[in-house]
Amino acid sequence: MAVSRTVIISCAGMGNRLGLGSTKALVDIDGKPLIIRHLEMLEEERDIRVVVGYQAEKVIDVVRKYREDILFVFNRRYRETGTGASVALAARYANQYVLSLDGDLLVHPEDMEKILACDHEFISGGVPGTDDPWMLQTYEENGREYVSSFSKNIGTYEWNGVTQMKSQKMQNGTGHVFQMLEPYLPVPFLELRTREIDTVNDYERAVAWVKNKFH
Amino acid sequence: MSRYVFLFDLDSTITREEIFPAISKELGLTEKLRALSRNNIWGEIPYKQRFLQGVELFKEFPISEMCKKIGEIALNEKLAEFIRNNQDRCYIVTNILDVWLEELAAKLRMERNLFCSKALVKNDYIEEVFSIVDKNAVISQMVLPFVAVGDGNNDAEMIEAAEIGIGYGGVHDIAPAVLASASHVVYQEDKLVEFLERLV
Repeated sequence: MAVSRTVIISCAGMGNRLGLGSTKALVDIDGKPLIIRHLEMLEEERDIRVVVGYQAEKVIDVVRKYREDILFVFNRRYRETGTGASVALAARYANQYVLSLDGDLLVHPEDMEKILACDHEFISGGVPGTDDPWMLQTYEENGREYVSSFSKNIGTYEWNGVTQMKSQKMQNGTGHVFQMLEPYLPVPFLELRTREIDTVNDYERAVAWVKNKFH
Repeated sequence: MSRYVFLFDLDSTITREEIFPAISKELGLTEKLRALSRNNIWGEIPYKQRFLQGVELFKEFPISEMCKKIGEIALNEKLAEFIRNNQDRCYIVTNILDVWLEELAAKLRMERNLFCSKALVKNDYIEEVFSIVDKNAVISQMVLPFVAVGDGNNDAEMIEAAEIGIGYGGVHDIAPAVLASASHVVYQEDKLVEFLERLV
């Protein structure tokens, strides 16, 4: 049975490090804004909330050209709060689970299918690939891998911001999403192939990844 | 169960079209209504003046006729159903005159849940407007946390003061002041009602 889920896409922040002059969710990846790439993979999802802040109207316009049945949630304090605040605002009055995606993360389409098929809580990560990663420490039990802590130095995987949790657990926070998750560890781990777009180098890598059909 | 009270703008939020342009078409007043807007083209005039000018235009028609025409305006039916189902906690906040709203309010079961403007009446005609609703005064009276839904510039303060302030753009574009103050915006009636159901 399909899980009762609200998908949250956080697009409130500014794309300063990219020198874009727009929020990162609107960055063009091989002919399409990143946010549209997300939405294309979420076709079947019925409850999608897009958190907006910086250049909210521009994000709303782009999203509406693709899909109308979106609830937009404002994070008015996007300058002084982290993605955690955006997720907390959107997780209020949501379905049983929230799936949280960062607007600046590109997910391998096959892995998005894996995410959407997942009917339980998870925290995800992948092969370390950015300059300043937060790492996930994991352990195995009965053939299943669990995330036991977030760390700056130790861990096998890089935390990528994608998580599915019961929505009631995600309603308070102003900082990072992982800080909201820490009290609930351990949580099942899910490995994903993703590209975060934070710097110009990240951007070039992400575009090349898409052009190369995600290889 | 939440303790929210729900405040709704009427025109283009509950109704599927703008009320006065729609009925002015039927009454042959479209040109006059347009001329009113044209006269104001060089600068915005405050809502109060605009409203009184509008009333002047329509007061030549019997109240019963205005009431009937306004009562026939198409509604966003799912939203109307939500309001009927939650009539004990829903209120309409609108500048439109009470005497013109009787049929529409009855359709929504909101006869007793209206914050609206009021007029003195004689023999089925408006004599004079004696009060224009102040949406800000309405919100300053609120004791319980409330949800507000609207689309126009004159809804912005109500939406900003709300615990959950929703801009609804299903009928026409959401006004800039609402975009600058809402906690949520939504463009589809189904989605709006689905979210409101969560807040009950």
